[in-house]
Amino acid sequence: MTVKRYQAEIGTALVTGGLGVAAIIGAAELGTGWGDHGPQAGYFPFWVAIVLVGASLWNLGRAIVTHRQALRTPPDPLDDPEDPFLPRDHLGRVAMFLAAMTAFVIGTLMLGLYVAATLYIGWSAWRQGGFRPWIGLSLGAIFAVALYVIFEVTFQIPLLKGPLEPLLGIY
Amino acid sequence: MGNFDLLMHGFSIAITPTHLMLMVAGVLMGLVVGVLPGLGAPNGVSLLIPLTFALDPTSAIILLSSMYWGALFGGSTTSILFNIPGEPSSVATTFDGYPMARNGESTRALTLAFVSSGVGALMGIMVITLLAGWASQFALKFGAPEYFAVYFLAFAAFIGMGSASPAKTLVSLTTGLILASVGMDTVTGAIRLTYGFSDLLGGVSFLVVVIGLFGIGELLSTVQEGLRFRGVNSKIDLRDVLKTLAELPRYWATTLRSGLIGIWMGITPGGPTAASFMSYGVARQASRKGAAFGTGRPEGIVAPETADHSAGTCAMLPMLALGVPSSATAAVMMGGLMIWGLTPGPMLFATQPDFVWGLIASMYVSNLLGVILVLATVPMFAALLRIPFTIIGPMIVVICFVGAYTVGSATFDLWLVLAFGLVGYVFSKLDYPLAPLILAMVLGHKAENSFHQSMLLSDGSLGIFFANPLVTGIMMVALALLILPKTLGLALSLRRRKEIAP
Repeated sequence: MTVKRYQAEIGTALVTGGLGVAAIIGAAELGTGWGDHGPQAGYFPFWVAIVLVGASLWNLGRAIVTHRQALRTPPDPLDDPEDPFLPRDHLGRVAMFLAAMTAFVIGTLMLGLYVAATLYIGWSAWRQGGFRPWIGLSLGAIFAVALYVIFEVTFQIPLLKGPLEPLLGIY
Repeated sequence: MGNFDLLMHGFSIAITPTHLMLMVAGVLMGLVVGVLPGLGAPNGVSLLIPLTFALDPTSAIILLSSMYWGALFGGSTTSILFNIPGEPSSVATTFDGYPMARNGESTRALTLAFVSSGVGALMGIMVITLLAGWASQFALKFGAPEYFAVYFLAFAAFIGMGSASPAKTLVSLTTGLILASVGMDTVTGAIRLTYGFSDLLGGVSFLVVVIGLFGIGELLSTVQEGLRFRGVNSKIDLRDVLKTLAELPRYWATTLRSGLIGIWMGITPGGPTAASFMSYGVARQASRKGAAFGTGRPEGIVAPETADHSAGTCAMLPMLALGVPSSATAAVMMGGLMIWGLTPGPMLFATQPDFVWGLIASMYVSNLLGVILVLATVPMFAALLRIPFTIIGPMIVVICFVGAYTVGSATFDLWLVLAFGLVGYVFSKLDYPLAPLILAMVLGHKAENSFHQSMLLSDGSLGIFFANPLVTGIMMVALALLILPKTLGLALSLRRRKEIAP
């Protein structure tokens, strides 16, 4: 299944509209009217969220209208809303990259940043770049050491550490 | 003291060994950031802000602004050598820069781009120097309603003058305003829109959002395109540089026109990207041999580059004088200013003259340094793009996440970066503009506070925004900017359609 551009437009409009509705609900709990000290806390977000919902509805309507029009008239080769939003091969590449990045975030939370960065860079150089695993891993390790020197030694900003660093005497 | 004396005082602050070193470091880092995909000026500056807490504000702003200039230069380098715009604002440079470089004249193309950028920047800074004192005098008359009117003007200008559909700009803008109101409300002290998540109590940091939207989002677009860099020779031949320098005065008209376009777009929130496209279009229309554009015409490089840099520098003026940034990078820098404990706006000129004039003077020096540095180091930075993306890509990802973590040492921010990376990717694919979202996040609190104060002054009547000539004038300009550009465009296209179909 390929996602078409008008479908992506509709999906995005629904999400931004949903955000607006959520903000309206959140603001309504705080009071959107006038208190003794001027506008209540929910006043400003409430009206901003109404504008957001309105603009999202506009985008939604426009996406549907252009979709209907495109079905009736011959497509404009430069700007066809029926074009795929993500062709299949592109989707594969983007999904792979996203999956690796998500794995890196989870790895950072579990193993600490340095180990996760080494593994992530090493894996990517090995599986996607066609380098030998040990070359990738050493590139990753060099990068992790560089991060350590820049952040912890020079600027004294501690980064996230996992169970491995204390074993090496680094806290 | 007149502006000139203040500027001289500024030079005495800017030209110290430490500050010169910071400028060189900033320009070089900016070049790296500008050359690499996924790291642009806005998120380069965001990544650096947590590292500037140890510096005094003047040194910090010199470092950050130098990085901005470096990123602008770096963006044009990749446009010319690789046909990949490193920055959105250097897209227009690819039209004629890459063809010229492919014809074997890469030194000429690069020199044209860098020197005209430098000239554009100098024009922009001169305007800042001349207007700074006056703008801040003018802004001293401002009360809460005037401030709200100015913020409204900035938002309206984005909607009316942006190239995207107004409804999409509005979505981007209001999303930013809602994100800005998450967490503790500074006026009423209420906790807002956290839905019970303790991670949201402190609010959503705009730095984290910038890193996600611009960094991860742009990386995803790069991945999708599939990375095949086809670079051309990037050696710099000194003789060609000199020959091109002698050739430059011939394009004085294009330079002047583009500089003025850039200045206008920089002061009003049009931004560098719009400025470079507009200037390229105007140059093409003004040229007698219009058809040859796109094949390596020198004016096609001079025009967008001059406008890009004059707009980039001029964006600093409204940020300093009014506290209203007119580009995404200026918005991030202004956020930095507030983190350092300074309040952007007219009082800055009165209370922190060293900071303001040191910055303005440093802009002259760092742009000159930038032109020289970039010509000297281009081959080195072009080599960065020859590193396979499978290695450099994950490294950029790691840098983005590290940068986001250093903002608040919160692991929740890592998930936010991932989420906003997806948002940035989808938004830019569907032509939702990203800059208004950042602007709204930075200005959200200030806009709300000034609105709140105005309402207190007027007892809840919106009439206060039309109560005196000053605030009425600003509101009228804002409404005109909001409504006129799009309706005029619509009217023109309707008329044209009528002419075609009689």
